[in-house]
Amino acid sequence: MIREARQHTITKMTNINGKAYAMNAITPMKPWKTPILKLAFFVLGAVKPLQKNLKDLSFIHFARWVVIRRNQFPRLSDRQPREELRYDYLLFFSNFNGTWNQYIDAFSAVLSQGLDLIWRWSEKYPGSRPVTGFKRYISLVQFDTDYYYNAYPRAATNDVKAALRVQDAVDQFARASQSLSPAEFEKAWLEFLVRVQSDLGSTGVAPVGT
Amino acid sequence: MSNQSGQVYGLTILSPIIEDDRLDICHSMELRWYLGHLPRDHKSPFAQISSTYLARLVVMDDVVYVGAPACEEHLKSHYLVFETNFDWDLETYLTRLARETPEFVDAVWKHCVGYPGVSDIAAFIAYMKKCQVETTFFFADVNNRTVQKSLEALRTQSALARFIAKHQGQSPAEVQREFGRLLHAIAHAPPPIPGGDESDRMPQENRPHE
Repeated sequence: MIREARQHTITKMTNINGKAYAMNAITPMKPWKTPILKLAFFVLGAVKPLQKNLKDLSFIHFARWVVIRRNQFPRLSDRQPREELRYDYLLFFSNFNGTWNQYIDAFSAVLSQGLDLIWRWSEKYPGSRPVTGFKRYISLVQFDTDYYYNAYPRAATNDVKAALRVQDAVDQFARASQSLSPAEFEKAWLEFLVRVQSDLGSTGVAPVGT
Repeated sequence: MSNQSGQVYGLTILSPIIEDDRLDICHSMELRWYLGHLPRDHKSPFAQISSTYLARLVVMDDVVYVGAPACEEHLKSHYLVFETNFDWDLETYLTRLARETPEFVDAVWKHCVGYPGVSDIAAFIAYMKKCQVETTFFFADVNNRTVQKSLEALRTQSALARFIAKHQGQSPAEVQREFGRLLHAIAHAPPPIPGGDESDRMPQENRPHE
């Protein structure tokens, strides 16, 4: 009875906070494949141009992949049962903007090769194309977030980047325009407006989607 | 170091949750119930730790079985996953967490094996480090500004957009004078509060947890 009552009081859709969606996924890997994946990540980290597509998508605040070897799950007491696993696991955590469907569609369309390089070592991974099987797989390996905090819920990562560009432009213009005459200011102001105009979109509540 | 991208640190912690069959309500459920009621806006404990961008807490019940011919296996413990993205170094962050939000930390980690409490901060940090798993690959889209700088930039962006709309068509001298006032107001505004409020959330977020 108490158990049921408590279950009913958990009401928040906690995968979402403002414009950010928290995705968690876990996939099993045969242990002999783990070093290959780690090498792929090492190359991805070392060769920055390989991250270009991920950066250009511009809707991921932060994302991380964590490989846990089957004997690396933290064990903090002798009374805690020791895990006996045959697989290593790949954990994936992402903080992205937009809906789940948009995210997976974009991943499949733009980052297909990169995704396949990362997840092809996981059991039963179907490939990121066609997207139907990929979505089915992600649904299977995803688990929900219980609590999600976002420092700027109204802002997508594009908003943050645009705002930082505006801030830089304002700081520069403030310094440069201090001692201008009104006529000089007018010219400089118009140049300033041209520079910032495409970064002035307003932030706000996210649209409802699926 | 793969836990760090620029000045952003990506911390991943897996804390084993206490298993006790004698309890009517298990620790995992107590924890979920608590997390389901924790404020997610400016009243969140993470808003107090103002260097936090995005953070999540997840009760991971088990690994995922992806179907034959993969082997089915299960975890012997449930794990609390703590995934957070913040500015600067780990020790400062954990110290702030323990000092500034001790009730929150106690309420969450008291359900976990080996949690020493927060009265001895060194012991708490050592405990968290034992639970830490190394990030294999960490991506941060913006990694060269602090949370505070990003929030200030978003405020400047919004203020500038309103200013331009309000003052278009005025003489250059008037715009110059008013722009000076705007800069003064921005420079003397109190620090923005992270986390937003309920008006930043869409109705969809309040639907039952799935």
